[in-house]
Formats: sequence, structure tokens, C-alpha cells
Amino acid sequence: MVRPGEHDILLTSMHNLNSRQESAVQRANYMWMWFSKLGSPKWFYELSGKWLPWLVVAMSLLLVVGITWALLFVPPDYQQGNTIRIMYIHVPFASISLAFFPLMAVAGTITLVWRMKLADMVAKTAAPLGAWFTALALASGSIWGSDIWGTWWIWDGRLTSMLLQFFLLVGVISLRSALEDAEAAAKACAVLSIVGCINVFVIKYSVDWWNTLHQPSSGFSLSDQAPNPPEVWIPLVIMIFAIYLFFAVSLILSIRNEILVRERRSQWVEELVQGT
Amino acid sequence: MKPHRQKRLGIVLFIAVSLSLAIGLTLFALSQNIDLFYTPTQVAQGEVAAGQRIRIGGMVKEGSLYSADDSLMVQFATTDYVNDVMIHYEGILPDLFREGQGIVVEGSVDAAGVFRASRVLAKHDENYMSQEVKAALDAAGASATNHPLTSQPES
Repeated sequence: MVRPGEHDILLTSMHNLNSRQESAVQRANYMWMWFSKLGSPKWFYELSGKWLPWLVVAMSLLLVVGITWALLFVPPDYQQGNTIRIMYIHVPFASISLAFFPLMAVAGTITLVWRMKLADMVAKTAAPLGAWFTALALASGSIWGSDIWGTWWIWDGRLTSMLLQFFLLVGVISLRSALEDAEAAAKACAVLSIVGCINVFVIKYSVDWWNTLHQPSSGFSLSDQAPNPPEVWIPLVIMIFAIYLFFAVSLILSIRNEILVRERRSQWVEELVQGT
Repeated sequence: MKPHRQKRLGIVLFIAVSLSLAIGLTLFALSQNIDLFYTPTQVAQGEVAAGQRIRIGGMVKEGSLYSADDSLMVQFATTDYVNDVMIHYEGILPDLFREGQGIVVEGSVDAAGVFRASRVLAKHDENYMSQEVKAALDAAGASATNHPLTSQPES
């Protein structure tokens, strides 16, 4: 038996339940729409066009602040003196280098499973950028090493695995240009990128697993009176963000180029080109 | 997710997992060879044959450094605080070389049982700080010495 008052409550709660279910369905729909929109080159081209100026401004600000701070205001290291300033270039480039294979692997998996156009454009443009960033990490490390270690190269776990990453990236680039069928090339590169991810763990943990000439990664200390105090790491964090933004800007710019090339026969690109 | 996509994702995951396993096992098997240097204790335990070209990593033992007045010849002990190995070297040392510093030497044991290094490299740890902070730490007696062999990474 349902009494009059209870009936209302029951109805209201059923209504609530229904609307909650609906909103969950809607949210899932939005998620799915967002995911499939992400695959639309036109949508990405328009959105990234709006983001780019802001990213460039943020990158320039952080670069100017970070480089000035690192070169002029960081105190000389107790062991390495002024040579420590190389760290503010080397560490950001080395850390962003480790992001390339995971990025290409995620993009590659989306290419293999969902055949999303944009994912393969990300994978294709990330490879040459990754090779450049890895090369810069190796070069800045060599300059640092030649001064502090007394050698610019040694075949220890860290340096060798990083060099392997450089060659793997060159391999991904060559694989893509070697295969004429674009779809087959995309699939082959996706598989190689997923496999190449393993090397990222080797690079990251090489200094812990084996004894190496390269030092292990540093911790951050919050105290002024301890190794790695804030005066050492705050400018480093700024430089890391600056180089991450530099990476984002470079990647977006080359993806936009790739979109224009691949979509050159679509109407919106023709309109865009004729409009300018 | 549609069944054919699920199947493709399954294949991708299978390839990734099996290759990781294969490479992980290979690296595990090779780990002895990937180490850059032997420790003085490994040398003392006879893990290295005479005449074999190797690298030894350790600290320059305090008070062991002797350098010749008329040549670039130096002599020092490298230690892991358990065992020492005497090193003879003739050549230019890295700027960071000094007693208490972590180093890696490359060379071999000659017929007389002396380790002759052909190359000496300086090793530094992951701790960076200014001279002032270092001085304050030393004054407080805190241990911030350069121990690349024993230090553990904080992150």
C-alpha cells in the first residue's frame, strides 16, 4: 500500500534516478563525441590555432626567466662551479626525450585499434622532433661530461640506452619513408613505437640497475641547508616547463602542417588556402 | 568497444607484453656485462683475471694520493670502504680529481701486480648546492660527502 505522501516521494526519486541515468548516458556521449572529435583534423586545426598564441607567450616568458635565472643567478656549485649551468639545458631536454616513445605508442595504439586520422599525424610528426630532442640531450650531456668527468662519451647504461633511443627514432623515421603504402607504414611505425617504449624504462632506471658513470636522478629538498636546495631546483623546474612548452608548440606546428598536407583535397583546406 | 577493435587491442597488448618480457629477461641475463665498473671488493675477491682490461670504480682514499714532482705520475688507492686497490697512472687528471672523490679508472693489472690506469674519470653524485650551503653543512657536521657508490637516489 502506498500512502498519498509516499507516492509523491517515490515519483520524485524515480524521476531523480532517471535524470541521473540520463546525465550519465549524456556524459558518456560527450566523452565519446570529444574522443571522436579529437580524431577530426579540422577540429584540431581550429582549436590549436586558438591555443598557439597563448602557448607561445607562456613558453617565451618561461624561457626568458629560466635562462636568465640559470645563467646569472644560480650560485656556482660547490664541486662543479659554473659548469652546473649546463644542467639547466641538459635535464629539461633529457626528461622530455623520454616522453616521445610513450606518446608515439599511445598514438600508435589508437591508430591500430581505432584508425583515427589525427593519431597517425601525431605519431609521424613526433618522431623527428624526438630525434632532435634526444640528440640535444646527448650533445649537452657530452659537453657537461667532457668538462666534469673528463670524457665526452662512455658506454655506460644511461648513455648507451639514450643513444639507442636516438637510433630507434631514426629507425621509426626511416621505416615510415621506406614503406610506400601510407597505411602499412603507419601500422609498422605504431608497432615499433610500442616496442620502443621498453627502452624508456631502461633509460630511466639504468642508473639504479647498474653501476654507471652517470649520476642517479636527484631529489628536491625543501630546506635551504641541504643538497639540492630550492635555489638550485626552482630555476630547473621553470626550464623544464619552458622546454615542455617548446615541445608542445613544435609538435602542434608540425601537426598543423601535416594536416594541411594530408587534407589538401578537402574543402575546408581549399577554402582556408584561398581565403589567405 | 566493437569486437574487431577489442581483438586488435588484444593483439597490440599481447605484442607489447611478450616483447617486454623477452627484452627484460635479456637485460637481466646481461646485467653483469652492463655494469660499467668493478668495485674494489670484486677485484679483491678475484673476479677479475690478471691482464684483463677493466674499469674499477671507487673513492680516492683519503691520504693515499702521491704525485711525483718531475712527471705526471700519480699513485693512489681507490676504495669502497671495504677493500682498496692501488692505482698507478701517468697523465692528466680531471679537474674534479681529489681525495674523497668518486672516480672510475680504466686499465689492467700488470705482471708486477700493479694496476696501471690508462684513463681516470671523475664521477659526481646527484647532490648540487652552492659553496655556502656546503660550508654550512660541513660546519654542522652533516654528511654531504660525495659517495657515488653508496648514495641512493631520492626519487
